[in-house]
Amino acid sequence: MKFTRLLPALIATGLLFASPVSATTPKRVTVTGEVIDTWCYVTQIMIAVGTAHHQCAVWCAAGGIPVSIRGDDEKVYVVLRVEDDGTSNANPRLLRIQTHKVTVDGDLYERDGVNYLLVTHVADDQGIVDLNHERFGIQPFGK
Amino acid sequence: MKKPIAAILANVLILISAQVYAAKPWNLKHEEVASFEAKVVDVLCELSGDCADNCGGGKRVLGLLKADGTLHLAVKGGNNFAGAVSDLIPHCGKSIEVDGLLIKNPLATIFFVQGVRTGPDVEWMDAKKFKEDWLVANPGGKDPWFRNDPVVKEIIEQDGVFGLPGVEPPAQ
Repeated sequence: MKFTRLLPALIATGLLFASPVSATTPKRVTVTGEVIDTWCYVTQIMIAVGTAHHQCAVWCAAGGIPVSIRGDDEKVYVVLRVEDDGTSNANPRLLRIQTHKVTVDGDLYERDGVNYLLVTHVADDQGIVDLNHERFGIQPFGK
Repeated sequence: MKKPIAAILANVLILISAQVYAAKPWNLKHEEVASFEAKVVDVLCELSGDCADNCGGGKRVLGLLKADGTLHLAVKGGNNFAGAVSDLIPHCGKSIEVDGLLIKNPLATIFFVQGVRTGPDVEWMDAKKFKEDWLVANPGGKDPWFRNDPVVKEIIEQDGVFGLPGVEPPAQ
């Protein structure tokens, strides 16, 4: 078969595989940890875990700061999806589980210094377990 | 004669302000002031191919994709306790210039957007659109937004400031 006759097929194949986005292969993981506010935790500007920081975590999630899970492995996993819900900005469901300790299964994408997690299943929600408000009060600035 | 000189000076000042945006350091650990050109992308779409119209229309986490393929997660904008989605969503899929703080913590590399502009000759805009959008969604809403947002108020009234119903902070 001449190349010129193959060309349309090659172009069609190329178009088939040409994607407008650079999707990569994720890794299946199970993560257990606390639902946190990414900004305060990563910048370390205050105590950003536990009951002491709960109110601020709700504020930040409502303000559209990405929500993460601080894993028991001490890694930060930025949540981009929860089960069928792709809403990750100011999602009321995520607001209501701030500070909770959860176990989730999901797909992990590692890119440019960030662990991104697409939660496929919430396996457990223990509620709030880090009761640190007696030690640290209300972070950042009182009631 | 004075008028033309004043006009020239005014134009020079406008030109300078269009060229320079001074991101304010916060003296955070791992912080560096950064200004770069990048395309606004829906991070979920960029990573997994799960895409939504208009980058999710403000409901998804957004990123800044540089020409060399580096993706920076836009975490914070200029309003207190608020992100940068309101500032970036009008530019979904487009290249813009951003100025702010890149925090390269080994835990996560995140970007604090302080200024946005659509081209080299365009004036920088402070990344404070969240508050404007919040006031549109909550007409007559009072400052500070985070203490008066109806969803936040409902959650805090229900669960308390510590997230533990019935547990109140000690009287000050």
